[in-house]
Amino acid sequence: MITAILRAQFLSMRSFRLDSRRRGAIFSILTSFIWYGLWVFVAFIAEDFFSSAEAGPLIRRGLPAALMFVFLYWQLTPIMSASLGASLDLKKLLIYPVPHAKLFAIEVLLRLTTCGEMLLVLTGAAVGLLRNPQYGGFPTAPRILGPILFFILFNLFLSAGLRNLLERLLTHRRVREILMLVLVLAATLPQLLLATHTPTRSLRYIFTETPGGFWPWTAVSNAALRNGVMMPFLILSAWAVSALVFGRWQFERSLHYDAQDTISPTANTRALSRVESFYRLPSLVLPDPLAAVVEKELRALSRTPRFRMVFIMGFSFGLLVWLPITLGRSGGSIVADHYLTIVSVYALTLLGQVSYLNTFGFDRSAAQIYFSAPVPISQSLIGKNIAAAIFIFVEMLAVTVASLALRIRLRPDAIAEAFTVTAIVGVYLLAIGNLSSIHFPRAMNPERVSQGGAASRLQALIFLFYPIALLPVTLAFWARSVFDSQLIFGLILGFSAILGVVVYWISMESAVAAAVDRREKLLMELSRTEGPVATE
Amino acid sequence: MQDAAAAIEIHDLRKLYGPKGAVDGLTLTVPRGSFFGFLGPNGAGKSTTIRMLTGLIPPTSGTIALLGMPLAEHELEIKRRIGLVPDESLLFDRLTGVEFLEFVGRMYGLARPVARERARELLELFELTAQPRQLIAEYSKGMRKRVAMAASLIHRPELFLMDEPFEGVDAVGARLMKDILLDQVRQGATIFLTSHVLEVVERLCDRVAIINEGKIVREGAMHDLRSASETLEDVFVRLVGAGHAFERLDWL
Repeated sequence: MITAILRAQFLSMRSFRLDSRRRGAIFSILTSFIWYGLWVFVAFIAEDFFSSAEAGPLIRRGLPAALMFVFLYWQLTPIMSASLGASLDLKKLLIYPVPHAKLFAIEVLLRLTTCGEMLLVLTGAAVGLLRNPQYGGFPTAPRILGPILFFILFNLFLSAGLRNLLERLLTHRRVREILMLVLVLAATLPQLLLATHTPTRSLRYIFTETPGGFWPWTAVSNAALRNGVMMPFLILSAWAVSALVFGRWQFERSLHYDAQDTISPTANTRALSRVESFYRLPSLVLPDPLAAVVEKELRALSRTPRFRMVFIMGFSFGLLVWLPITLGRSGGSIVADHYLTIVSVYALTLLGQVSYLNTFGFDRSAAQIYFSAPVPISQSLIGKNIAAAIFIFVEMLAVTVASLALRIRLRPDAIAEAFTVTAIVGVYLLAIGNLSSIHFPRAMNPERVSQGGAASRLQALIFLFYPIALLPVTLAFWARSVFDSQLIFGLILGFSAILGVVVYWISMESAVAAAVDRREKLLMELSRTEGPVATE
Repeated sequence: MQDAAAAIEIHDLRKLYGPKGAVDGLTLTVPRGSFFGFLGPNGAGKSTTIRMLTGLIPPTSGTIALLGMPLAEHELEIKRRIGLVPDESLLFDRLTGVEFLEFVGRMYGLARPVARERARELLELFELTAQPRQLIAEYSKGMRKRVAMAASLIHRPELFLMDEPFEGVDAVGARLMKDILLDQVRQGATIFLTSHVLEVVERLCDRVAIINEGKIVREGAMHDLRSASETLEDVFVRLVGAGHAFERLDWL
């Protein structure tokens, strides 16, 4: 049965690869290669560090901390990047007589899609420890590999449980935004404690140096570094079994969950009319059909769960990640000096995955209206770009207001600079987005609050293209620091803006031509449904 | 001069997917003011033909003229004058019914107040006003079809291209839709529809074409097609060659 499900998924993915998605697949392989290549490099560093016989004291202190980092990355990164990874599409599978235990087994295996990076790092660390003569070398492999395997199982079970719990909680319209904020706050708490000089020694002791090795990472460390055998294994087994019970319990609850129950009744009328005025703003200045497209995008995106999540993360996560760094420095550092610009550009890049990089993604098969209506496709693309720009502007406003509320000193010229720089970077990103929307379209489920297996692809896309988009403004900042001249900075920024408009215009021409040529493939891609495993 | 031309003129139309022809040398004329049924078994090429007529997919070869104008040269002008009900959902799930209809009206060139007013009237006509804040994502299948039908009407098109418009619609809704379509024909519009419900086609259409494996196997006026002893279903089954293959499966 498990084989049948996995085969169905493989065949679904194979058909993707063989026909119109070939270019997308090549791109995906290339970007995955770069992303995982980076992690292989990290794994080699880990291997080198843990194999060093002279690094004994450092290893004793560093291993629990490193394993705790693995745990946190494994459990929190999928949530923070709104990329919970591939998962079973239960609606498609529940109609068949498949035992729940088997479905759960597949669900657990699918958790591997969100942690490939950590498996590489763990492998590097394990090989390093095995090669280290201080810890017994290869003859004691079971003592090192056993706890690590238990640690992997613990993480897989826990992430399966967390995923199911979060997916259910996030279907509640009001709960999801609050929950995401809480998670973001929790994730940035350690940094905040460090930056605000809160005494962290006792926290470090509790989490990484407890004598009994209570935590799973300390237990793994104790077992691997010969600080006992039975106790660490018992502790690890207890953690793994608890995670299994939690994971299975949450999975069962998801099986019997009906998201329709969470649909809330009609919203407050006054709030509705205020939002309605916001939606209608573009019609005051733009002609139809451009205004119609912008208005539709504003309405549709602001009601799309996944977009809302990323939008909230754009300013809250960005703000809180960079805030501690700023608080930790009194001024003069690059981050502190350009705090607002950095957070705004971060928010801009994050929004890409749910708007301008795949602009027809949420429309799915309904995107054919842009081709069947008597409107040139360029108008639709421009309309969608304007809507994305409005959201970016609102995001920046939110960042600015939040920064001011947090009493971060922002000079008016710093605010103006942040808005200008983000606008210029935005023009380049929209140009890239128009091309990627036509050449690499991908249907996205608006109801799923997180993205699936494309996370690494997206990260690699950011890695490849965002530096190009950032290059002109980076050049302006570099010139300012070298020549210490605001005039040169302004001139280069102005030139970047003009160049950006030219690049945008050329990309628009190219995207429109490609849209006409590729419309059949584009619509086919956007109409696709997935196999039994949801990866989009 | 233009108005005297046929509503749809297709000549030697082909659509190849690899070596296989989804539509293979289709030649067809649909007179203005007719209610035209385009029938065929699953995979015969009906939807592909409609998608080529709407410009959603380009033909491999052949010519299409709609309302007297070649599609390739006058795409935008033609699109302004046609109404489309596709087989797949063409609806934006995160809009309400009225927002979607207003959007479509504006895309077809209606002024915003006019589009809004017509959207409200159409929703009332199609009995979709019970929950005005309900998103299309929360609509039932029948409600979605009603909205799609309403969207095809909002700009008063001269030619309707409809792919399975009655699929999933309840009897009351289907009756309403049929009455509206017949009224549109009376007012001079042309309707080109596909349907698997042959009784409906038999009752509504004055002309029919049957397509099988990408080729027209029969075309003509409804009264010429069927005889006293044969229903449209009998003619259809005879022409497309449906057999009793299930009889070969002993276990079934």
